[in-house]
Amino acid sequence: MDGAVLHLGSGKPTMTEDDALAAKGAPSEKGQARKPLIKLDKLSKHYGNHTVLDGIDLEVMPGEVLAIIGPSGSGKSTLLRCINYLEPPDGGHVTIGDISLNAAAAAGRSELSTLRRSVGMVFQSFNLFPHMTVLRNVSLAQERALGRSRKNADERSMQLLSRVGLADKAEQFPGRCSGGQQQRIAIARALALDPDVMLFDEPTSALDPELGLEVLAVMRELAETGMTMIVVTHEMSFAENVSDTVMIMADGKIIEKGPSQDVMRNPQQERTKRFLRAVHDR
Amino acid sequence: MSTADLFAILRGLPWTVALTLGAFLAGAVLGVPLVAARQSRILPVRFVAMIFIQIVRGIPPILWLFIIFFGLGMSVFPISPFNAAIAGLGLIAAANMAEIYRGALASIHFGQWEASLALNLGRWSTLTDVVAPQAFRVALPSAASYLIGLMKETAVASTIGVSELAFQGNQLSQLTFRGLEVFALVGMFYILLSLPVAWLSRVADSYLQAKVAR
Ligand SMILES: Nc1ncnc2c1ncn2[C@@H]1O[C@H](COP(=O)(O)OP(=O)(O)OP(=O)(O)O)[C@@H](O)[C@H]1O
Ligand SMILES: [Mg+2]
Repeated sequence: MDGAVLHLGSGKPTMTEDDALAAKGAPSEKGQARKPLIKLDKLSKHYGNHTVLDGIDLEVMPGEVLAIIGPSGSGKSTLLRCINYLEPPDGGHVTIGDISLNAAAAAGRSELSTLRRSVGMVFQSFNLFPHMTVLRNVSLAQERALGRSRKNADERSMQLLSRVGLADKAEQFPGRCSGGQQQRIAIARALALDPDVMLFDEPTSALDPELGLEVLAVMRELAETGMTMIVVTHEMSFAENVSDTVMIMADGKIIEKGPSQDVMRNPQQERTKRFLRAVHDR
Repeated sequence: MSTADLFAILRGLPWTVALTLGAFLAGAVLGVPLVAARQSRILPVRFVAMIFIQIVRGIPPILWLFIIFFGLGMSVFPISPFNAAIAGLGLIAAANMAEIYRGALASIHFGQWEASLALNLGRWSTLTDVVAPQAFRVALPSAASYLIGLMKETAVASTIGVSELAFQGNQLSQLTFRGLEVFALVGMFYILLSLPVAWLSRVADSYLQAKVAR
């Protein structure tokens, strides 16, 4: 995979959550570390009279990697999109760090901007800007959203592109890159804004399996550096082996949530069992 | 036909070029706020823009020139034939360019808007860095073929007395009674004018395509 130094091992990352926090430079005091980074209260979303999110309560700790799985149409994408208000929720609260938005009140532009500043997002279809070089893709928002100089932005971009193994693609256009490379660029682009949490919506679903692997390798490495991540995925091995927590959604509700190994190997809910069996049979 | 006849027709050429470029420029510029209004989140604004575009495009160009030159020009404010033609054709071009822009905007994948939102680019940067360059690329071929269409449409200005190509041809044919040759020559000029536009559009298009290569 063209110079990427990453590889996909097996088993859990060796870091504990506290190591991860230390790696992030977050305070390692127990009391403070236990405060969730993301908190959703009774989050709901309707399209017409169709309830897509039905009062979601969720807490994600700093450094936690949460995998969300569930059948098609269960509201996984909508949940992610409500977290950074790409889709404004119509009930409940979204809290990320010190920012809290009440869905009942109209969110102002500066509030939204503050919220989105702390959230990076990676899409299933990459959504790179096709008319810009790879480097420009990664640098643009650093300049426009964070006010970095061109030079500083480009430096940071090159760092991140090296990290995802694509420094040699900097001057190419995205159309010349494979899907797996494009998704890694998209990850670098989101990381460039130094988010507190990264959201991934089925980042490998549009890719051939072997290209998916290189993206998963990057995500795994990211998880090991202690990044807080919420990942909607159909990759069961990622859910089981890389994520700390797995959450199963169906019909806009959380059916089951717990430590990844427990949920994946020993699910408690009948619905979860059926879903996992169906996935394995595929 | 004599060289003098040829020069008589040639005198129309700058007027045709001026009308074409003037109206196109006005349309390309005014089309921007018009498409912005047409896509506005505010319903009344959107509605007014839509009606405006429909009306402008629904009435024949020759009628617009009559309305502006004979209607407004004779009763409200005096206006020269050339300015009336620029105003009328510019108005029509604005409505048409707004529709071309609208098509180009619609062709941009919603993921581009979403990524811009998620990256916190802000509205101005989203438009100028992400959307406009891609829309421009999509609009270019339609805009070029519209420019050629507009160039031919400027012939209606002869009806209010702008001495452009068709006007000169008409004059000459009445003087010489050699309509066939005269108008064939006039037609040739129109074709010659359209060639560089078509060529430029193709060059620009393939340049942009090679650069972006999607
Ligand atoms: N913009 C929209 N307008 C109307 N309905 C929508 C819209 N977006 C999503 N929905 C509906 O909301 C429900 C949940 O959609 P969502 O995309 O969140 O599901 P998902 O769990 O991500 O599914 P998948 O695994 O197929 O991606 C679906 O029934 C979908 O049809
Ligand atoms: Mg989805």
